Amino acid sequence: MTTTVVHERIPEPIGESKPRLDNRKKVTGAATYADDMQFGSGLLYARILHSPHPHALIKSINISRAKALPGVKAVVTGEDFPGFIGLYLQDRHIFCRDRVRYVGDPVAGVAATSEEIAVKAVNLIEVEYEVLEPVVNPEFGASPDAPLVHPQLSEYKVVPFILPQAGTNISNLFKVRKGDVGAAWEKCAAIVERKYRIPHIQHVPIEPHVAIAQVDETGEVTLWGSSQSPFAQRNLIAQALGISQSDMRVVAPYVGGGFGSKAGVSMEALAVAIATKVRGRPVKLRLTREEEFYTAFVRQELISYFKMGCDKNGKILAMENRFYWGGGAYTEYGVNVTRAAGYSSTGPYEVPNVKTDSYCVYTNHPVGGPMRGFGMPEMHTGLEQCIDDLAHEIGIDPVEIRRRNCIREGSILVTGSKMHPTGLPQCIEETAKAIQWGQKASPSAPNKRRGKGTAIMWKAPAMPPNAGSSAWVELAEDGTVTVGLGGQDLGQGTFTVCAQMAAAALGVPYESVRIATPVDTRFSPYEWQTVASRLTWSMGNAVVSAAQDARRQILDLVSEAWGEDPEDLDIRNGVVVSYKSEQEIPLKDMVIYGLPKPNDSGWMGGPIRGRGKFMPTYVTSLDPETGQGERAVVHYTTGSQSVELEVDLDTGQVEILRGASSFDVGKAINPEMVKAQMEGGFVQGLSSALFEEMKMVDGYMQNPSFVDYRIATTTDAPSDLQSVIVEVPQDDGPWGARGIGEHSMVATAAAIANAIFDAVGIRMEGPPFSAEKIYLAMLDAGIVE
Amino acid sequence: MLEAHPGLPEFDYIKPKTLAEASRFLADHAGEARPLSGGTDIFVRMRDGVWKDKYLVDIKGLDGTDEIVYDPSKGLTIGAAVAMNRVSAHPDVKKHYAALADAVDKVASYQLRNRATIVGNICNASPAGDTIGACLLLGGALDVHGVDGARTEPLASFFEGPGSTALKPGDVVTSLRLPLPPKGLVGRYYKLGRNKSSDLSIIGVTVVGFPDKRAASGYRIKLALASVAPTPLVVAQVEEILAAKPVTEQTIAEAAQAAMDACTPIDDVRASARYRKMMARNLSQKALTEIWNQLGR
Repeated sequence: MTTTVVHERIPEPIGESKPRLDNRKKVTGAATYADDMQFGSGLLYARILHSPHPHALIKSINISRAKALPGVKAVVTGEDFPGFIGLYLQDRHIFCRDRVRYVGDPVAGVAATSEEIAVKAVNLIEVEYEVLEPVVNPEFGASPDAPLVHPQLSEYKVVPFILPQAGTNISNLFKVRKGDVGAAWEKCAAIVERKYRIPHIQHVPIEPHVAIAQVDETGEVTLWGSSQSPFAQRNLIAQALGISQSDMRVVAPYVGGGFGSKAGVSMEALAVAIATKVRGRPVKLRLTREEEFYTAFVRQELISYFKMGCDKNGKILAMENRFYWGGGAYTEYGVNVTRAAGYSSTGPYEVPNVKTDSYCVYTNHPVGGPMRGFGMPEMHTGLEQCIDDLAHEIGIDPVEIRRRNCIREGSILVTGSKMHPTGLPQCIEETAKAIQWGQKASPSAPNKRRGKGTAIMWKAPAMPPNAGSSAWVELAEDGTVTVGLGGQDLGQGTFTVCAQMAAAALGVPYESVRIATPVDTRFSPYEWQTVASRLTWSMGNAVVSAAQDARRQILDLVSEAWGEDPEDLDIRNGVVVSYKSEQEIPLKDMVIYGLPKPNDSGWMGGPIRGRGKFMPTYVTSLDPETGQGERAVVHYTTGSQSVELEVDLDTGQVEILRGASSFDVGKAINPEMVKAQMEGGFVQGLSSALFEEMKMVDGYMQNPSFVDYRIATTTDAPSDLQSVIVEVPQDDGPWGARGIGEHSMVATAAAIANAIFDAVGIRMEGPPFSAEKIYLAMLDAGIVE
Repeated sequence: MLEAHPGLPEFDYIKPKTLAEASRFLADHAGEARPLSGGTDIFVRMRDGVWKDKYLVDIKGLDGTDEIVYDPSKGLTIGAAVAMNRVSAHPDVKKHYAALADAVDKVASYQLRNRATIVGNICNASPAGDTIGACLLLGGALDVHGVDGARTEPLASFFEGPGSTALKPGDVVTSLRLPLPPKGLVGRYYKLGRNKSSDLSIIGVTVVGFPDKRAASGYRIKLALASVAPTPLVVAQVEEILAAKPVTEQTIAEAAQAAMDACTPIDDVRASARYRKMMARNLSQKALTEIWNQLGR
């Protein structure tokens, strides 16, 4: 395959903050989302009957009364769909068959001529349950005393790099055994041991999940949905239904926020399954906000134990970490979160002796899945507080201990791999400078205490070793360019960035590039998923490769027509030019109809269509006992965040005064959008640090609405939010680029926790660091009366 | 909660032409009809299945309900359908009833306040109602039109429990009346939410104060608390302490302690009773100190 590295010259418009392609449509309301699509009077509405119990056996289901209700067109249950579904571990049926595993588990589905009738029908379905003891704590869930959530775990189909433990609730165990941890402790001058607890939170996209499915007379399926992963949905739903991937078409219009919740498959399979029973008629399913909380993916909870030690100079000698991930009822996707946390378990530090056990544990909670950061925020929130405590223990400044231990080019990583060039040390300096680290400002009022905190991070794209991308580039009669791709724009701006890359690689103005949307698996080229912050790098490589292919075809044609060496030709601003003969010809004069041969002897060329693909070919497997291997991941994006805040002694309220982020993105294709990611991630991280928590009691969520699930708004964000881009190029990224979407919220909660400690000297077991929690901790510590 | 209806349930929208017609309809359909003005609470509760009314009787536009009038000889009258943003933007409200203007601006969000009404906030009778404390401390009374005609309900005896009031079937509150403010009146509302905007109160503290020669201290300072008792709570001890003894840091601390002792909050998903009690003290102290400063200390 062709390499797409173009380091020698940075062409326009790479590195320019071009306006987003979708600005106008989104601001004017013209953009069409899944729920806006019109399907005419034949549309049926689906509603789902959910389990009211966290854990129970289904003894019987009676659907006869629901079926008899006028207007009801289909009632389905798990009996109708025996297939399994899941990304890494197929542990899920579309509808429950014998057992329910969380409050919200789908038990039956209805399609009716109106949403109201569907609701009535759902209420007529009678289910008899035998209630079982739920597992609500992952650490207990991993123990032999816990009731089994999935007794058939050992029979499930699973990818080779996920290791379920038969006869337990542990659906993946990732182990690291590096060096000799036992022998290292006695060489340590300071050792700290800590426990942290990170609650479930949710993505809360402004647009809840919505899907419309239609099955035609021949059995071909079309699914329209708010989706990050049209191709993964095609693959997984087809497998579950036992149909060909080619008979499953997914169309993905604009998305109103995803953050991971619309990756893989969740409720989309329900809509498709119901639609198979009412052939010819489209079936729409949309989640209420309550259903979004209960039944869409949530972020896994985590109970983490850290033990780390350093010598008298603050050099970290050993880490011993245990992670109990509350994976929820199904961990088909979540198992890989726990693997990622395992192979990244030291954080961005070079540590010679490491022991890690990262357990993915079934619980009777909502389904844990991918969320922005993919395990890294949860892990770093503990780890980066522990590093601070270690610094204080040994008497070294928290920023200094990070300088001394952070990974650099050539560092030996936790998996034994070698670190590629990284700008992490520079990121640390940038954020320290931005908040004037080391200078203590006085509080704004006598009843306030001021503090600063910093935390650093790393994150690799977590995905199968061979996740691929593809693209095409076509030109129209007027020389404008259309790029076909299969990744999705969730608001992060990937379409704009890909248009910039296509323009640069081909040699046309940015304004003449379009993206072929909506992504449609029937017409768009393959893309694994819009996850892992991998699109700029992976899909970008495919787009560049396709644009270069088109460029080659154009230059070959012109060189033949002009009798010149292609090396002397270039495409500038949509015009082919010869540096030798100084001839020129606009693209529009040749990209469709080709060019005449000399002496009226016919034509050459034809419609130009470039093709490109990218797939990493170098990721190796890791030893299941030691977690060691040659190359665990494609690369790591690294960075640092710092905050300054005040704690109100009267109330415990935290006000973030300023924040700073610096990440090594390799190359910022569109710097303003990179900064927007850094700012957005900071605010989402802030929100998870101070406000967000799914309050679970015995498997039931107590706050399934925005009344009591609080998220940060602009008023909670600091007005002083600095974002500093560092660019140390990635060897196989387009112009050196690597991802930034998720990284920006990984270190935020830890930085805030460290700043709270700096301000008032208290540590809490975990977020959210609510005013109440802080006030009561200050009370316990005797700071307030 | 999980099975919350995806949309509003069916109901009939009734638009009466007169107050008498409204009262008659509401009385004839007691238990299944409800007056509607802004709807910001009604629609949420109906959608959640908490309220199952068959009829909503729109009182907007009925006699005086859309008017807000300040009469320098009588005081302020706020029609039941006047949106909160109109109230807080009214120059005479800002000038003469600062505590109310302050409280109104802390209800939910600006967007919501374009629909929400103060009378709705009062009739909802939530212990967390942000504007109720000010209305109580400012001596508010409601004009009510019932099946037997018009009457007045003083707010002091209006609240009977969470969501429960002195209103009877057929009653339509047409306006809130606040008497002329005492000379030198100042006021303030402190709200503690979990984040900065749009939250329900974990606790709310309303304080008003004015110079009063009849008080030994020379000041009359009153305090009301939200979200710490089954009904909005006026803490009479605060007024007594700060009237009887000279206003000092010590007496303010004593009054704040009295506010803490007077309240009986519960544990809920928003906060614990323990935290609420402490916040009743701390924020009372803060609010009283600020009022004292405003009064010229």
